[in-house]
Amino acid sequence: MSGTAFDFQDVAYAYRAHRALDGVSFSVQLGERVALLGANGSGKSTLLRMMDALCFASGGMATALGAPLSEKAFEDEAANFAFRRRVGLVFQNPDVQLFNPTVLDELAFGPLQLGWDKAKVKAAIEATLQRFNIAHLRDRPPHRLSGGEKKRVAIASVIITEPDVLLLDEPTAALDPKSRAELVAFLAHGLGEGRTVVIATHDLDIIEDVAERTIVLQEGKVAADGRTLDILHDIDLLRQTHLVFEHHHSHGQGHGHDHPHGLHGHIHRG
Amino acid sequence: MDDPAYGVCTCRGKKRRGLVETLVFGLIGAENHSLEAETTSGLQGVLQGFDPRIKVVALLTLIIAAVSTQRLTVLAMMFALATGLAVISKIRIVRLFRQVWLGVLVFSGIIVLPAVFIVPGEAIAHLPVVGWAITLQGVRSAAFVIGRAETAATLSLLLVLTTPWPHVLKALSSLGVPAAVVAVLGMTYRYIFVLMQSALQMAEARQSRLIGPLDGPARRALMMTMIGTLLSKTLALGSDVHAAMVARGYRGEVRLLDDFRTKPADWVFLLAALGIAATIIGARL
Repeated sequence: MSGTAFDFQDVAYAYRAHRALDGVSFSVQLGERVALLGANGSGKSTLLRMMDALCFASGGMATALGAPLSEKAFEDEAANFAFRRRVGLVFQNPDVQLFNPTVLDELAFGPLQLGWDKAKVKAAIEATLQRFNIAHLRDRPPHRLSGGEKKRVAIASVIITEPDVLLLDEPTAALDPKSRAELVAFLAHGLGEGRTVVIATHDLDIIEDVAERTIVLQEGKVAADGRTLDILHDIDLLRQTHLVFEHHHSHGQGHGHDHPHGLHGHIHRG
Repeated sequence: MDDPAYGVCTCRGKKRRGLVETLVFGLIGAENHSLEAETTSGLQGVLQGFDPRIKVVALLTLIIAAVSTQRLTVLAMMFALATGLAVISKIRIVRLFRQVWLGVLVFSGIIVLPAVFIVPGEAIAHLPVVGWAITLQGVRSAAFVIGRAETAATLSLLLVLTTPWPHVLKALSSLGVPAAVVAVLGMTYRYIFVLMQSALQMAEARQSRLIGPLDGPARRALMMTMIGTLLSKTLALGSDVHAAMVARGYRGEVRLLDDFRTKPADWVFLLAALGIAATIIGARL
């Protein structure tokens, strides 16, 4: 698959007086896997919502799949429909995403809104329940699920429509270690070839597995854009963007040492 | 150290629940009621086995029949029928008593109490001291109101206790209730738990930092703050949920997957309910 999935040039966005995005420029090619890396408040979630046409740039130029990402363009029902068929967003908070009374209804929601016929919807539900190993949850109300189960159902409810572009906002947030490891394995190997994936995260431990390219955001601006491994080895950049911090370890008997530390573990200088 | 200034409760005897504790217990109780309802709807009872669409129509028909009857004996039979349906559907009578009968009796009893004295008719007793006459017609009127309310509430609760809420919503949708109404009902049910969880966490966080009883104004201020915070969270959640719906193709019309199947037993139940209603209304029983 070739072509441009997203092209953002000098994009800006503000929540009243607060500038969430300021002069952001980058492009993502179809089939590429990109991580949006940044500390809290760096603009990752706003950028992801903009990429899913849930909010629109107040300055600059943004396009998705060759069409402009603007309020006016999305007033056109056909353009809106075509975009929603191809782009899916998994929200950070599964309680926001899972608004249906049962897991089965949750999976059915997207395909039904996109006009699939009921036989096709039912077949897709069965396949997705098996694929995500959530068949036992089919009649459960989402609010009764554990955090890991909610996240799996949230991703399944988006993947079921087989979008060309998958956007994920902090997919590993608030997951226990086992659920987190399973999710990372799925993101790394279970999404299939050729799908464009953009993952917003501040979890340094997962990006090497899930994205070959990383865009680092800081205070609404692009601080760096490059190969994930290069970004992970640039300790000064990570420290400057508040993604690692100096940490003192004590190893008993009074021995200790300082070194950079990420959210879940040590960052060793390349 | 018994001084309230040190934060130690100085109350004696039976401990009174504070505002926050009451709220916490209330929220936990609501959550438990909902869990119990989900459990009873999964039991192997008679009503649980019927198609939810048939159940909605049949129980609604029985409610109409109960409120239309002109005779107390028929009303008593309808109440007995509702109780019988509960028994064969494995709903405990104690539960009906606690959750419906007692509350409806107190609430409607307060409303109809004056009728016992006001409605003109044959006096059957007099209140001591004040000497007000209790009339037969007044007692009959009160009995009708209470009986109708008890029977209707029991039948309504049977629907909720024997049918998973999502199936009730789907049944309403397939019976022609507008999708927007069904969607609002569904989301209210869905998010009431998220907000209850949020309220519970706020109440517990507050409780963990309280080291003594609050006075009246402080309790009211606390309640107002909690209501305000919850309202603001509701608005934020509502906006996010709408965005999540739009992201998955929602364009103002909710489409649902309806896969109910009717069996011969469903039609028998529906015909029986329609027959009872037709007899009561047609024969003016």
